[in-house]
Amino acid sequence: MLKVDNIVTRYGAIEALKGLSLEAREGQVTCLLGPNGAGKTTTLFTIAGILNSHSGSITLEKDNLTNLSAPGIVRKGVVLVPENRLIFPQMSVEENLVAGAFARPRKDQPAINADLKGIYERFPPLKERSTQSGGTLSGGEQQMLAIGRALMARPKILMMDEPSLGLAPIIVEKIFDIISLLNKEGVSILLVEQNARMALKVAHHIYLLEGGKVTFNGNPQEMQQDEVIQRAYLGAGST
Amino acid sequence: MTDFLQNCIDGVMFGSGYALLALGFTLVFGVMKRLNLSFGPSIMLGAYAGTWVYLNFSQNVLLVVLVTVMITVAVGIYVERLCFWAVRRDATIASMVSSFVIWMQLEEVAMHLLPERTYPFPAFFTSTVIDIGPFFVRSEHISMFLLTLVLLALLHLFLFRTRPGLAVRAVSDNPLASRYMGINSSNVLFLAFAVVSVLGGLAGFLILSADSQVTPFFGLWATFKGLIAMMLGGMGSLPGAILGGLLLGVVEANAFWYGGPVVRDISAYLLLFMMLIVRPGGLVGQRIVAQQQAAYERV
Amino acid sequence: MLNDYLLTVISNIGMISLIALSAYLLLISGEISFGQQAYFGISAYAGAIATTLWGWPLWLALLFGSSLAALAAGFVGLLTLRISGLYFSIATLAFAEMVRLSLFKLSYQLEIDGELIGPNGAEGFGEIRWIFDNDVSVLEYTLLIYGILLLVLFCLVLIERSRLGMIFRMLGQDPLLTRIQGLNPVRYKVTAAILAGFIAGLGGTLYAHSFTYIEPQIFNVMLGVHALAYGLIGGLGTVLGPLIGVAIDIGFLESVRVFQGYRMIVFGGLVAVMLIFMPRGILDENRVYRLKNLAQRWFRA
Repeated sequence: MLKVDNIVTRYGAIEALKGLSLEAREGQVTCLLGPNGAGKTTTLFTIAGILNSHSGSITLEKDNLTNLSAPGIVRKGVVLVPENRLIFPQMSVEENLVAGAFARPRKDQPAINADLKGIYERFPPLKERSTQSGGTLSGGEQQMLAIGRALMARPKILMMDEPSLGLAPIIVEKIFDIISLLNKEGVSILLVEQNARMALKVAHHIYLLEGGKVTFNGNPQEMQQDEVIQRAYLGAGST
Repeated sequence: MTDFLQNCIDGVMFGSGYALLALGFTLVFGVMKRLNLSFGPSIMLGAYAGTWVYLNFSQNVLLVVLVTVMITVAVGIYVERLCFWAVRRDATIASMVSSFVIWMQLEEVAMHLLPERTYPFPAFFTSTVIDIGPFFVRSEHISMFLLTLVLLALLHLFLFRTRPGLAVRAVSDNPLASRYMGINSSNVLFLAFAVVSVLGGLAGFLILSADSQVTPFFGLWATFKGLIAMMLGGMGSLPGAILGGLLLGVVEANAFWYGGPVVRDISAYLLLFMMLIVRPGGLVGQRIVAQQQAAYERV
Repeated sequence: MLNDYLLTVISNIGMISLIALSAYLLLISGEISFGQQAYFGISAYAGAIATTLWGWPLWLALLFGSSLAALAAGFVGLLTLRISGLYFSIATLAFAEMVRLSLFKLSYQLEIDGELIGPNGAEGFGEIRWIFDNDVSVLEYTLLIYGILLLVLFCLVLIERSRLGMIFRMLGQDPLLTRIQGLNPVRYKVTAAILAGFIAGLGGTLYAHSFTYIEPQIFNVMLGVHALAYGLIGGLGTVLGPLIGVAIDIGFLESVRVFQGYRMIVFGGLVAVMLIFMPRGILDENRVYRLKNLAQRWFRA
């Protein structure tokens, strides 16, 4: 569905992505794993149009996304849930959600209202706090809000950057429950995670990134069979 | 005591004009985190154009309002494109200096339009004094105050009830997150400048009508009164801008009554200086400032 | 050849350069001050009082005025330690306006040769006759101004090459980083403020004695914002930046008389366009670095 082909992205003179290719399939959770500085966030930023790639191409179904503007890419249906959540702290929860639908055309308003209701049903805590300002929510609720806000754009594919970052283990479990639930309902997800253990539970397909390149590509079973990776990412001797 | 209360009434009336100017600064600063020094001078040029029409073509006051606002908007857009949109986003000082040199440019344009130092400025009503018990109010102050209330209500509707208004607030609340939402920040900046210029043009008209004259110094005056009122209330806060404007008006009115023009100006600056040292967040407080600072630093 | 008018323009460039340098020093250490005119003004009044009313020699008055300015700057620096960014800029503006407005209330006159002389509120302070009393020609005074300017430049170059200059630039880039390096930003911020106050002060006393008449209105916020703009136009990469800015504004515009009446329309537009392409001025850090490399290679060849 989303195809990234041989992209090169640079920060000034430094090449962060050195010809990276991957594919996120429809209805699946695709996960990018890798150490710090491997280029996971850079990959998401390049797809989202926050960074421009130097060469290579990005396509969603038949649409060419390569070097479109960030708003244009959101309109095509690729939405990012950023690292650290980045909600609007002074706006109310409801306004945060409505802001998520900003890329949708104005005539969509009835559908947007219906989606808002849907989000509230899916995340009851957000409904309870709909008039509170975003900054007053807890970390887990903020993550929920960030996910809900991204869903308001009706994404074809949802990109999530480290949703577990800075959250307590119980909350992390909850967030991953939400991710697998969303996926079961048919949302395609491209996930970046440091927490490999949690990622393996929800992922259908895994890409391992190192130094701006894909070094492994396969499903979770294949990954768990690979001994080197097993030792590096999951801790030797564990199940 | 009667004097003091009378001064407070005058102060609130006149302070509503300051509040409008402060709102202009707060909105634009919120969206772009950069300072537009030529906000006042754009209004001044708009007012000059209005006066020019008044002196040369038509005595119709509505037309003067229209010309003032339209020229203020045109100049505001010119400043936005040249000094902010075109300049690299991280070059905050360059934008500020750029808006300053454009200020000088605008002043010279105004001098070519109308070369004398002072010109009469029209008002809707001839001035009358209305008695309310032991107090009195000038009619043009009341109309300024009421019109300000109407403008505030309209601005509130725009910011809190419309999609573009929501976009403006989203960009000032968290520029990075609004980018992820697919909000085009350059369009929002343009929009904010346009809205603020309409507000500024109307504020300029109201203030100058109450003064019944316009001079080239109005640009400097408006820029710094707006800045002071915004900082007093709390930078980046909309209610703060209104409170700051009213506070500035009340303090100035009292200081003027008890000490004359120099004391009025000194007391305004002294209040500002103390506020910045003791409580940089202004009247509305530190919390919003801290939150915004945090959101800003993450960018 | 060098007539008095031209000399006045040249000496004007020198004196305004001093206040521009003072704004520049704060700019590279990361603070935008709208208020350097306060120290310029304080020193102008203090220095002029010292020579005219107390009969001090100029060098002592210069030292007195500038020290007083530095003291005031240090005081403001201490008060504004906790704030930065726009908060700092507006606080300096507020202080400078308080100084200017207080000068309207300043009246201190003594009878000298049967005449009341000294600052008197809005009437200003005339008869600062040191130049005439000591038979100093315009040329000599211009040379004096440039001597002091060179001395200041020399000191600033020394500072830029020293540890202190490095710390100033580091503060400008990232105050947090400075703290992580184990340096106390408080000390260096106040040092920068005092130095900047002193430099502006030198310009102030010189200005008062050059024009022989001063009034509060001269030291308004326009002077301060101009001083700030000069540094940015000339470039933030070298101490010569502010001088280039001043020379372009005063020198170039005075000489191109064709633009009379349209000079700010042309000049303002040009500067605004220039800032789009050079947001840190003509001689910014990169260009200065490249020029230095070029010069080195050229010398070697």
